[in-house]
Amino acid sequence: MANIKIVFFASLREAMKCDELELLLETPLTILQIKQRLAEELGQSILLEEKVKAAIDFDFARDDDLVDPAKVRELAFFPPVTGG
Amino acid sequence: MIAVQEQDFDVQSLYDSLCVANKTGAVAMFVGRVRDFSDDPAQSSFILEHYPGMTEHNLEKIVAEANQRWTLLDVKVVHRIGKLSVDDQIVFVGVSSAHRAEAFAACDFIMDYLKSRAAFWKKEVTPEGEQWVEAKASDEASLDRWRID
Repeated sequence: MANIKIVFFASLREAMKCDELELLLETPLTILQIKQRLAEELGQSILLEEKVKAAIDFDFARDDDLVDPAKVRELAFFPPVTGG
Repeated sequence: MIAVQEQDFDVQSLYDSLCVANKTGAVAMFVGRVRDFSDDPAQSSFILEHYPGMTEHNLEKIVAEANQRWTLLDVKVVHRIGKLSVDDQIVFVGVSSAHRAEAFAACDFIMDYLKSRAAFWKKEVTPEGEQWVEAKASDEASLDRWRID
């Protein structure tokens, strides 16, 4: 069991009116399960939109990637990137 | 060298720093700039946001991949953040190598991956309001030509 820091960026951060929060994770969950849990707890269905991307400790992650609270420090959710 | 910074960059000094005495036969450089995107360029700007830590981490991975694929002498990537106006420089990618084919290819590769894999987001600010820039499907599609099956 551990607290994981969750950060949001760009249009997603503005839509959710939230930069970051802490999530207490008791057992490993997939990125999709975490999105579903946050969407429900925060009342933010925008997190379930297909275009929302995720990263685990700075590496891009897919919906079926597992987040182990014993190993992961930070998750991020954001829209597709538009740099360059 | 990878830098994510608010301040502008000087292309000449980056070019000079890419050149390795007696070895560099080719330098390829790309500079991305802010072009006019509204009816009122003087009053329009971009805000560039990034994810501190992830942005640098992914740029390092992209440059490492380029170094795996081609024989390069040096690579420099500079990306600006914060408020940028029309005609400002946004991004610099420079690659030096012994021969031009490697320098051209690696510079192209790094820009393609930066567009789709580096954590930056642009917001347009005009007198009419603010709007986040949508990602283009063509940017993701342009990665296909670098994939190795």
